[in-house]
Amino acid sequence: MSGLSTAAREAVEAIEAGPQGPEVGAFFDLDGTLVAGYTAATFYGDRLKGREVSPAEFLRTVVTAVDGELGGDPTRIARVAFSAMRGESEEAFADLGERLFRAKIAGTIRRESRALVAAHQRAGHTVAVASAATTYQIAPVARDLGVEHLVCTRLVVEDGQFTGETDGPMLWGRHKASGVRAFAREHGVDLAESYAYGNGYEDVAFLSSVGNPTALNPHRDLRAAAARLGWPVLDLADPVSGSLLAAGRTVAALAGMNAGVGAGLAYGLLRGDRGEGRTTAVKLATHLPMAIAGVSMEVLHQERLWTHRPAIFVANHQSSLDIPVLGRLLERDFTIVAKKEARWDPRAIVGSVVIDPAWIDRSDSASARATLDGVVDRIRGGTSLMIFPEGTRSATPVLGPFRKGAFHLAAQAGVPVVPVVLRNTGELMGRSSLVLNPGVVDVCVLEPETDWSTDDMDDRIAALRQKFQDTLARWPS
Amino acid sequence: MALVSPATSSEDLERWGSAASWSSGAELTPMQTLLWRAERHPVQSSTTTVVIDLDRAPDWQRFVAATEWGTRLVRRLRQRVVDPVVPTASPTWADDPTFDLAYHLRRERVGGRDEVLAEAAQVALRPFDRSRPLWEGVLLEGADGGAAYVLKIHHALADPLGTVQLLSMLQSGRRAHTPRKPLGDEDAAPAEVDPVDLAVAGLRGDAAALAGSARSAARSLLSTRPSTVVASGLRYGASVRRLLTQAAPPSPELAPRTGRSWAFLTLDAPLDPLRSAARRGGGTLDDVAVALVLGGLRRHHERRGSDVTEVPVGVRVSLSRADDLGNRFAGAVISGPMAIEDPVDRVAAVRGEVLSLHTERALEVLDAAAPLLNRMPSFVGASALQAAAPPDAFVLTLPGPPKRRFMAGAQVQGMYVLGPLPGSALTAVLTTVGDTACIGVNVDASAVGDLAALRSCLDEAVDEMVAAGR
Repeated sequence: MSGLSTAAREAVEAIEAGPQGPEVGAFFDLDGTLVAGYTAATFYGDRLKGREVSPAEFLRTVVTAVDGELGGDPTRIARVAFSAMRGESEEAFADLGERLFRAKIAGTIRRESRALVAAHQRAGHTVAVASAATTYQIAPVARDLGVEHLVCTRLVVEDGQFTGETDGPMLWGRHKASGVRAFAREHGVDLAESYAYGNGYEDVAFLSSVGNPTALNPHRDLRAAAARLGWPVLDLADPVSGSLLAAGRTVAALAGMNAGVGAGLAYGLLRGDRGEGRTTAVKLATHLPMAIAGVSMEVLHQERLWTHRPAIFVANHQSSLDIPVLGRLLERDFTIVAKKEARWDPRAIVGSVVIDPAWIDRSDSASARATLDGVVDRIRGGTSLMIFPEGTRSATPVLGPFRKGAFHLAAQAGVPVVPVVLRNTGELMGRSSLVLNPGVVDVCVLEPETDWSTDDMDDRIAALRQKFQDTLARWPS
Repeated sequence: MALVSPATSSEDLERWGSAASWSSGAELTPMQTLLWRAERHPVQSSTTTVVIDLDRAPDWQRFVAATEWGTRLVRRLRQRVVDPVVPTASPTWADDPTFDLAYHLRRERVGGRDEVLAEAAQVALRPFDRSRPLWEGVLLEGADGGAAYVLKIHHALADPLGTVQLLSMLQSGRRAHTPRKPLGDEDAAPAEVDPVDLAVAGLRGDAAALAGSARSAARSLLSTRPSTVVASGLRYGASVRRLLTQAAPPSPELAPRTGRSWAFLTLDAPLDPLRSAARRGGGTLDDVAVALVLGGLRRHHERRGSDVTEVPVGVRVSLSRADDLGNRFAGAVISGPMAIEDPVDRVAAVRGEVLSLHTERALEVLDAAAPLLNRMPSFVGASALQAAAPPDAFVLTLPGPPKRRFMAGAQVQGMYVLGPLPGSALTAVLTTVGDTACIGVNVDASAVGDLAALRSCLDEAVDEMVAAGR
């Protein structure tokens, strides 16, 4: 479990050492606990941007929020928001939830919170998100974490539209606690053995309803209460967000990449050896920008990158950072398969000069197949191939389904598949972010797999994907 | 009567030794001063009345002698409060040179249990003579051979916890007489105190302290950033506001409350099932007491067809670790979850409410404000106590003697503490006596029309909680 802070690792070990099975519950608050920040603010910000908020409503919201901070009823702000949603379509709002999840909220899920959830899931516990937020905020996060149960505020929907009312009380403070107790009764969960994680001062009643409460990144007042009550406090790292410095470094890194390519190619020309030039270009183009951006790598089983060449390298994909990382790992004699649309991406241009990717036109399957035939020949000729079997970058570290293309190529060319598991690249550079943050990229090269054929391909792909998943869940050390 | 000449039990000696040093400070604490000066009888009178059931009527002479001994052991019982002429200093304790035991202790004959409680309520409602030692005891001898001792103590002398501590310290572990009992230190008696001297000394001390505190206040203000001061002030204010306003509104079913006519009820429950109900709900005996009273009020409201689901309940919150019976407490009001039917679930809900108070930085506001308020005319202090609307009920748990004890040869069967009614409809105190929970309930008779009906509601709530713990 490297990559986790000591405190988080100890928490995970305590879960592993504790009672196992579904009668143990694990209840996670959403805002500030699973994700850093407030999802409601993300939703409201979207409304503000879309100019859907009248000045009067805006004023009312601000006044209510300030009053809540100054000792007034803190749940009124949510009721104001709910009543403003009256008449809106539930479906549209659920779609908005999905869109905001991919664009913003996915990036705020704490990696170590994810590790805690996973630890409870491995222990077979009944895991639930318990939050005053609505289903539309929680469901995408819960799905991403593989959490099936939601204990949350429900909005009344009539004919597909919100009425502005809630179904039962808002699950805040005492009502969240009673919601959790009711859930426990219904699902046969033993609260005395259960775990709960929360961060707000209103979470005390919720936390005290279980035997193992944890104040996770608690607010000032909960921190004071936890100290008094003898509850453990767990401070987890927030996902890195792009800073101005990081942005500047990214620009410099891009420049460094291009300069690296240019210098490498020039070196090749001078020596009269294009292959040597390419290799130098790759080396410079990957080392320089990562050094500038402050990114280093920690690689497990690096030797497996060299034992089975030519091969098809398959890796999980979260970030634009994955390509320079893999370029730096593979160093020489490799290429990639890329979609044709990416050909004119400024970030890809330099790469395409050096590694000459096999461009695939996805809209034209005949041409795609012809390109791939050409690729098989290139592989047989000694050029390894780098493929992301998930196809696209995933919004979160959760692994997407694997496509078969890479494995068909391995079968046709008769070369092994070398699996490369990447961790943290999505954290250092978000899915759609152009900013690269400093940090360490963890890489683990799995055992190369040989003798691919179409007969048992589906099973082997499934088994390999499971290996990726296991490695991500329990990072070998 | 001492047929077997008993060597004095060492356990008794130890307790009596600590009784001798009990409450030895000369000045009233700020909180006691606030209550002393704010007293308005009976609505804001701060008295604790204890009804002690005895298995037989003790020998009167022996009882008087034992009480005489007790007042010599605990000097406070022979002292009175001396107020400075102007409130520049705290009131002070001084020996009462005219102390007369006969004024404080008497006996009466009663017909039965109901009469005991009615008489106890009458004793409790009579105002104290504030120029004498602040306690009064009446031995009520029943027609059936049993007896009850009613002891009334002013809050300035002892709060309910102190009263029960004092009583369990003074009681004996054996039925037989103990001939040689320890006595308090005669020399410890403070000198005569003059109210004018007291005021002048207070002024002089203030002048000296004021300069120092002004300096340190200025220094701390200068060393902190203004925005930090403002932010922390706002947070404190927000916390005060939450503490004062966020409990449930008072129930109309427990009104009007005049506080002028008190009625006493007593209930018993075995302690073990209550403790296991506490465990099942993840709470303490305190939480069980609150949940039990809420169970009674739930029935009371149901019978009257009311749809009130929460009532404000005053509880005591430990300021040290929540699970310990710490020695620093703050009073606070929670929204009592009355509508929850399942008693264990109700215990858990109460637990959550009480623990939630620990996030409030202003929890100690009354303690913090007391020294300041005392320097103002007493009505200011009185209104500070009233700033928060009084809750519908106060519920308190007290640790009594762990074993059955004796008073002048009569065995203590139960100890019921009947607390004051500072604007609430009822005050319930659960005292642990041996393996029994003795619950005393002081009811504002003007707020509860049918006392017998409330009694049966509370009885059912006890049965329900006991059943939940078995």
